[in-house]
Amino acid sequence: MDKKLGVYICSGCSIGETIDVEKLANVARKEYKAPVCQVHQCLCGKEGVELIRKDMASEGVNTIVIAACSPRVKTAAFSFDPTAVIAERVNIREHVSWCQKPKDEDTQMMAEDYLRMGIVKAQKSDLLEPVSDAISKTIMVVGGGITGITAALEAAAAGYEVVLVEKLPRLGGFMASMKSRLPQHPPYSALEPSDVAEKIQQVTYNPKVKVFTSAKILKTSGQPGQFDVTIDAEGKTTEIRAGAIIMATGWKPYDATKLGHLGYGLSPDVVTNVEFEKMATAGRIKRPSDGKPPESVLFIQCAGSRDKEHLPYCSSVCCLATLKHAGYIHEQNADAKVFIIYKDMRTPAQNERFYRAAQDHPLNFLTKGEVSKVEKGAGGKLSVSVNNTLLGEDLVIPVDMVVLAAGMVPNSADGEAIRAFEDAKLKAEKGDSESQRADAAKKAEELKGHQGTEILNLTYRQGPDLPVLKYGFPDSHFVCFPYETRRTGIYAAGSVRAPMDSLHAEDDALGAAMKAIQSVELASKGKAVHPRSQDMSFPSFFLQRCTQCKRCTEECPFGTLDEDEKGTPKPNPYRCRRCGICMGACPERIISFKNYSVDMIASMIKSIEIPPEEDEKPRVLVFMCENDAYPALDIAGMNHSSYDACVRVIPLRCLGSMNIVWIADALSSGFDGVMLFGCKYGDDYQCHFAKGSELANRRLDNVKETLQRLQLEKERIEVQQLAINEYTKLPALINDFMDRIRKIGPNPYKGF
Amino acid sequence: MSAHGGRDREREMAETITVKPDAAFIKELLGSGGSDLKKCYQCATCSVACNVCPENAPFPRKQMALAQWGMKEQLLSDPAVWLCHNCGDCSTLCPRGARPGDVFGALRKAAIEKYSFPGFMAKLAGKPSGLLPLLLLPVLIFAAIVLFAPRDITVDPEFANLFPQNVLEPLFFAISGIVLLAFGVGLARFIKALKRAGADAPIVPNLIPAAIEIMAHSRFKKCGAERARYWGHMLTLWGFAGLAFMGTVVGIGTMAGVMQTPLPFMWDPGKPVESALKIFANVCAVVILAGLVIILFDRVADKAKRAASTYFDWLFLLALTGVVLTGILSELMRLLGQDPSMFYVYFVHLVLVLMLFLYAPYTKFAHIAYRTVAMAASRK
Repeated sequence: MDKKLGVYICSGCSIGETIDVEKLANVARKEYKAPVCQVHQCLCGKEGVELIRKDMASEGVNTIVIAACSPRVKTAAFSFDPTAVIAERVNIREHVSWCQKPKDEDTQMMAEDYLRMGIVKAQKSDLLEPVSDAISKTIMVVGGGITGITAALEAAAAGYEVVLVEKLPRLGGFMASMKSRLPQHPPYSALEPSDVAEKIQQVTYNPKVKVFTSAKILKTSGQPGQFDVTIDAEGKTTEIRAGAIIMATGWKPYDATKLGHLGYGLSPDVVTNVEFEKMATAGRIKRPSDGKPPESVLFIQCAGSRDKEHLPYCSSVCCLATLKHAGYIHEQNADAKVFIIYKDMRTPAQNERFYRAAQDHPLNFLTKGEVSKVEKGAGGKLSVSVNNTLLGEDLVIPVDMVVLAAGMVPNSADGEAIRAFEDAKLKAEKGDSESQRADAAKKAEELKGHQGTEILNLTYRQGPDLPVLKYGFPDSHFVCFPYETRRTGIYAAGSVRAPMDSLHAEDDALGAAMKAIQSVELASKGKAVHPRSQDMSFPSFFLQRCTQCKRCTEECPFGTLDEDEKGTPKPNPYRCRRCGICMGACPERIISFKNYSVDMIASMIKSIEIPPEEDEKPRVLVFMCENDAYPALDIAGMNHSSYDACVRVIPLRCLGSMNIVWIADALSSGFDGVMLFGCKYGDDYQCHFAKGSELANRRLDNVKETLQRLQLEKERIEVQQLAINEYTKLPALINDFMDRIRKIGPNPYKGF
Repeated sequence: MSAHGGRDREREMAETITVKPDAAFIKELLGSGGSDLKKCYQCATCSVACNVCPENAPFPRKQMALAQWGMKEQLLSDPAVWLCHNCGDCSTLCPRGARPGDVFGALRKAAIEKYSFPGFMAKLAGKPSGLLPLLLLPVLIFAAIVLFAPRDITVDPEFANLFPQNVLEPLFFAISGIVLLAFGVGLARFIKALKRAGADAPIVPNLIPAAIEIMAHSRFKKCGAERARYWGHMLTLWGFAGLAFMGTVVGIGTMAGVMQTPLPFMWDPGKPVESALKIFANVCAVVILAGLVIILFDRVADKAKRAASTYFDWLFLLALTGVVLTGILSELMRLLGQDPSMFYVYFVHLVLVLMLFLYAPYTKFAHIAYRTVAMAASRK
């Protein structure tokens, strides 16, 4: 495409009072020979937008640089078809005019540099090419419990074909084996009959839903919009194509045999809450040892939950299950005594009302306390010792039965661990050296519990199932984005995602169904899903120069890239989230987007003017994650918080897309320092791409070597983790760094 | 802060006990003012709100848990039950509406029932169906006196004409003896229970400072929720104490033959002791009436629902008010020469006085004794 550049500078919103916009226009006109360059006092207004559109129509302008407000605002006014026009926004309002001294030399220099960077980026960009492949809009739901059934019904009601896969011969999951449901309707104080049978009917006879029971997924290959799934159901193998997958595989009870310290196994009269529910569903609650209805029952809450040795988390439903079970007992025998020993009663949302109602029963006895032992007592009873109670006494309670309120364990499989196990097994057999084989065998032994736990059986390079967090819940940016997993187009819902009750599971199912629909619809338009929703760019790989180092295939948080036998990456564009982490990882710099590449950013860095040392104007390059740090700087601008005018900010799709060559480029071309702003990482990460900021930090270790080679101080580089709401801290972070840089002194490579 | 420190100290004293919740006791509490007992979820807002609880043994949070669990023994031997002066702060501030103050009221009633002697009397005094037999006894006694007592009729209209003093005085002294005996047995049981539960203060020597504290109302004053209750209770107690003193002196005086009723209403220089006593008694009557009016008004107009008013409360309060009103009315009618209707009023007065005293160990009146003992037991 022959590019014809048009540069448009807005002088509104006080930009014109801070910056000499005519002088700024001369940068475009003289340095970059822009054939069209206009200044307007309200570019986002009807007249301003028409000015640009008119130039596009009459002058043939097809590469537009708009120097005005932040690209995060006025997106509707400045919206152009990326397959027909290259448009670049230069932020001289929030990042210059609103935070720097008016009519100051440094302010002017800052605005001019930003304009240079924008023009260079536009010059280096290419038009996006639309893709249109055959996309299946069928939604596959894995798991036929309350979540799966609800998700299937919701997706079908929205007009989508659904395939529902259940491993058991029947639908309904745990809910189908429960006597009653927690209150669903005001005043939320009484148990209700389970309505799951009705839902099973609805889903079974829904013409849009194909149900497979006694089923297993043998293989899931492909990518969003094009998942090819092999299902084995009742001995028959079926191939289906699906566009998105909802994983609603639910939970299993925590293994009670590990709860010997609470009496499990001591007597048949010590049962779990799941066993107790089964007893109630079957008919009368009887003491297992002698078949008599119990006169007194003690519930131990958090049995193995919120316990470092067992499940460290709260399952959020056990307290409610116990209150429900207390109701069952009093329904059967109004004079039975029910003791509940808790750590804290946790009855979220409206369930507080149910708690209150249950508490009102005169024979429900509740106390916080620690169960120290469960023993066999006199007269066939069990004797439970409880310390640290609210009654101020250590108690010994003789009871007929003990129920352990044990928690939920997700029915997930750790795809990455399964893959690691297989790799280790292979290495143990075919390793290069004896010691390598021994290490691999040891690792395989550690991981062998993961063998044969596959659920989705993905053919992904990074493993056959969803990556999980440390407690086994499929990885998801749960704070901001429920249902998201680290496999594009596959959404987790219900208690496999987080422990929850059935009411929340139904809400979850609806949410995940909406995400699945969004995924297939966007795939059908060749657009990215969350978090770069609507993005039409794709990474391209210049494979002739690939060295098969596998960094991209290993580091992609979304398992986008598979490998051939040699280790050359095989892209699956619909799995891609367009974060550019592969681009940052590639030492050969062969991965690029049409509108985002290593060369592009490097050129932007080169376009920044480095004043000579005697001017005493240091320059610091700042890479900012465009999801949190960049908007935080926008907010700082909106608040008119000023900071040092010697910084130049380059937004990155994710800090993980940072290629360390940029840092080397910057330092060798005379920048005095480099700052990097990414999101929080670790267990409670805030990175929109799960691993990006963590990977960037890891890569920086290599930069230290570069610095040594250049004989530069390592203090010239600083990484910060910043959340969007920490905008008040941002100016000080920048200023403090600038102070340190001024103390260290100018970069000796200036002027080379 | 104090609630937590207190809990640590409780913890140190923790003993292992075998739990056998007393379901009947729970139902008794639920039915006698503590109907919201089970709502408590142990947040301890009540213990923080309470101004009168000792720092090392905060209440009523712990007692609420014990009550929910039906731990009768522990509760009824806990002096905290009596240290509460029922200001209702805990009840109005309770986020769950568990009304700890009302539960404490029910606990005090249960304690009186448990310790008093003979126990069946407390059962009668605790329920409305017991009112008729309780009334019947004094009615029959005074009817018998009217019908059968030997009398010495004087010219002036005078109560002694119908209710001869040589019958009344010994009767009341005998009844005082019975009441003191019943109280003695009940309190001995209570003290034994307190000691068993770990009270180590010298209870009997502490009774005097405890009584002084009660008369001074210093603890009541800490119950800052409502000043009116403080004044009402103080005036009632002082008025009552004055009248009790005066009654005893005149009783002994007439029995010994050194005094003669009626005492002169106005100052009589010939009878300085008698006239002083009469003036003092009339002042006391006005004081107690003022106190009772405040208390009654406070209960009836309790818009914030600070405290429950149970049958047990009303029985005592109305009996006392009745005694005061009929007493004043009798005196006025006598002075105005309202013979013979004054005799009917005096009859009612005597019936109520006898009820008040004879049943004191079993009605709310008993709180005067139990609270004194509990305060003595919890003194440092």
